[in-house]
Amino acid sequence: MMTRRIQVFGLLLIFALSACTFKSNSEPPNTLHVAALAAIKSLDPAFTDDEYSSNEVGRVFEGLLQYHYLKRPYVLIPNLAESMPEISADGRTLVFHLKKSVLFQDDPAFTASGGKGREMTAEDFLYSFKRLADPKLQSAGWWIFDGKVVGLNEWRDAAAKVGTTDYAAEIDGLRATDRYTVQIKLIKKSAQFLYLLAMPYASVVAREAVEHYGKEFLNHPVGTGPFRLESFNPASKIVWVRNPTYRKELYPSEGEAGDFERGLLADAGKPLPLADRIVSDVIVESQPRWLNFLAGKLDYSDIPKDNYQQAITPSKELGAELKKKGIGLQKAPKIDIVYESFNMSDPLLGKNKFLRQAISLAFSSETFIDLFYNGRALPAEGPIPPGLSGFDPKMLNPYREFNMAKAKDLMAKAGYPNGEGLPPIEYASNSGTTERQIAEFTERSLKAIGVNLVVRAYSWPEFNQTVNRRKAQMYGQAWDGDYPDAENFLQLFYSKNVSPGPNHTIYVNPAYDKLYDQALQMNDSPERTAVYKQMVDILVEDCPWIFNAHRIAFSLTQPWLKNFKIHEFDHSKSKYYRVDSATKSISR
Amino acid sequence: MISYLIRKLLNTIPIILGVALLLFVLLNVVGGDPTYQMLGKHATQQQVTELRKEYGFDQPLYFQFGLYLKQIATFDYGDSYAYKRPITAMIYEGVGPSLSLLLPAFFLTTVLSLLIALMVAYFRGTLVDKVVVMVCVTGMSLSILAYVLFGQYILAYKLGWFPISGYEQQWPDRIQYLMLPIIIWMAVSVGNEVRFYRTAILEEVNQDYVRTARAKGLSEKMVFLKHVLKNAMVPIVTNVVLEIPLLMLGSFVLESFFSIPGLGNITIEAFHNSDFPVIKAMATFVSLIFILGNVATDIIYTMVDPRVGLQ
Repeated sequence: MMTRRIQVFGLLLIFALSACTFKSNSEPPNTLHVAALAAIKSLDPAFTDDEYSSNEVGRVFEGLLQYHYLKRPYVLIPNLAESMPEISADGRTLVFHLKKSVLFQDDPAFTASGGKGREMTAEDFLYSFKRLADPKLQSAGWWIFDGKVVGLNEWRDAAAKVGTTDYAAEIDGLRATDRYTVQIKLIKKSAQFLYLLAMPYASVVAREAVEHYGKEFLNHPVGTGPFRLESFNPASKIVWVRNPTYRKELYPSEGEAGDFERGLLADAGKPLPLADRIVSDVIVESQPRWLNFLAGKLDYSDIPKDNYQQAITPSKELGAELKKKGIGLQKAPKIDIVYESFNMSDPLLGKNKFLRQAISLAFSSETFIDLFYNGRALPAEGPIPPGLSGFDPKMLNPYREFNMAKAKDLMAKAGYPNGEGLPPIEYASNSGTTERQIAEFTERSLKAIGVNLVVRAYSWPEFNQTVNRRKAQMYGQAWDGDYPDAENFLQLFYSKNVSPGPNHTIYVNPAYDKLYDQALQMNDSPERTAVYKQMVDILVEDCPWIFNAHRIAFSLTQPWLKNFKIHEFDHSKSKYYRVDSATKSISR
Repeated sequence: MISYLIRKLLNTIPIILGVALLLFVLLNVVGGDPTYQMLGKHATQQQVTELRKEYGFDQPLYFQFGLYLKQIATFDYGDSYAYKRPITAMIYEGVGPSLSLLLPAFFLTTVLSLLIALMVAYFRGTLVDKVVVMVCVTGMSLSILAYVLFGQYILAYKLGWFPISGYEQQWPDRIQYLMLPIIIWMAVSVGNEVRFYRTAILEEVNQDYVRTARAKGLSEKMVFLKHVLKNAMVPIVTNVVLEIPLLMLGSFVLESFFSIPGLGNITIEAFHNSDFPVIKAMATFVSLIFILGNVATDIIYTMVDPRVGLQ
């Protein structure tokens, strides 16, 4: 009797578990499935200092400006601004006229209207910008306004001094001249400032929501964007649904050459967003991410290093198996640089240019790229990546060829023939597997010219600390561009940006600084490109980095995903994506 | 019993103090400065100074340690540096997913291991015993990563029996995502458990009282279930209860590969981000659970073995 009961219970359990393998909630066919490669730290624009949080924030929050989705080189267009700003003759005053009738999403935070989202106004931008400066908040995005807007630093300093923040206090550089006009006065003209306004940090937030949710605002985003949050689990899954009160914004009607043929203009003029729902799964490990993509559970994916051979042929085209499935491949150079840095404040490396040049010549970027990026990168000749004004495709850095003979000559010139008398150099590395391998590769490369590296592997926080405190003699790192202007790369050598700022190389050169200050005042022009070239020439000769590689992004897309185009800076790009449910049902 | 419990609870104070001191020293020596993590790649010296002041990093170490002790006493660790959220809320949210994964995995592993251990002890010395022990040793020798890679690729992707990864807050949707990690946990753990329980049971099998039971004419089944198993319960209970606190920490690897937002995930992220308050909270939490687990073990001893008393 007992045995029979157990059998019946066992059968029921199996049926119950089987039944559970079907989702109890169905989703609309036009649902995007994407992967976030790291846990989402915050949905508050003030704290979005990583790519994955920025991508989520970009679904719900918007700023004054945005990037054109299709045009290349990257170009700014209005977002919540009605048009591009009016800029004064001296370039210091920017006037933005806002779009009217743009509503914040409905939310219980809007108690006065019974939860109905109110209209966004110029005052909302003033509040949002001041919030970035609020010393109590310690936003990672303060740098976009730091030292740039008239009166904002003083307002911040006063708030830090008294311990309370007065958002009602007027600031000369930030004014709402009427309900729909924002005026920003800059301390100095800045050609890059408009790019900063297209970053997620500069998104508009509703004061009611910030105050209503308090510390939990970062879990309750209330913006003007195309999607609204349905559920949020930062380490597992974020679900967005179409915002029913989103304003009328249309899919672009023009792009770059070839976009029409690639089908990227098929939805021209259609109202955005094109997807009804977005499911963003946090998948940190590459194996499940890759398998989920192959199983059709993700609409697009990167190619993990370990799966590259399976996906891509030696001629860098899509493999036959994936092609058969209708999967598409897109490639685009990333606006970034991978580099090995010398510590210029180090008494040995910082004072011996020939030694740095010799080390640079002994490091083969071609081998590095093959080993660590499966060939998915271009050797770097200087700090400016391809795709930006100032990048010179014909430039040849005399210290970036792999030339052992020349390297050995320079070692002798440096006072260390064959490395004799040269003390070991400490190389700081992150303790991740790939980073350790890179350190070993660097160690082996330099040994050939008699330079002995002592590799110190640190956890990421320790590595960060070591670099920030100038303790590392050499270290390897990468810089992803914040905006498409070479200045973002050249500022890494500006003396006012030394650690804890982004100039961890501690490169200090008054001649370089002078040119940098000059370039900041200039709009994109042949004259500015000439200044950039002079700066690059100085860096090439001084060799504070081994300019190593510019990576190439490889993205795979499912046959049913429409309008996907690699975009480095647009964090709201999911509003352009569409899932073709007919193709999806056939493909699967 | 009550005086025993009070004594045990008083004993926790020096243990917690020791853990706190050790952790504090470790975090300050090798933890990395969280300021740089929090401010991102464009930090300024002014921000670094302000933040250090705000979080008390500029205070003397003894003062910071005092604050930490206060946090332990009140179990209020403030907000996470990385997520800017109250840590108690984060732990509260992480316990559910971790336990959803590991309680059934642990329960099923224990029951299955006991059954197999009883079987192999019953057939000790035979081919069945040898084969099972060999399989157990082989299973124990494989890394959990190998099970995860195999499970996700073959069972989930190729055969489509389970989702590859993911998690749902709602029941019963959650179950489908937990089945594969539970199976992997069982596969990893069963070998070790079977060998331990088999040894515990075999030690009892050779005792005089077992011979007496057999001499009285009891069947082998009765001898095993009524006498051997009952007497082997002390080491078994010790093993089971001491493993329970570990369940609270979750399985780092499984949670990471299957995107399960449990405590293991939270802890790993905290180390990655120099999120000291979370690390401190988790360390104290686990210490407390361990101590409570020990007390629970002692109490359960008295239930399964009348010879044991709490003094």
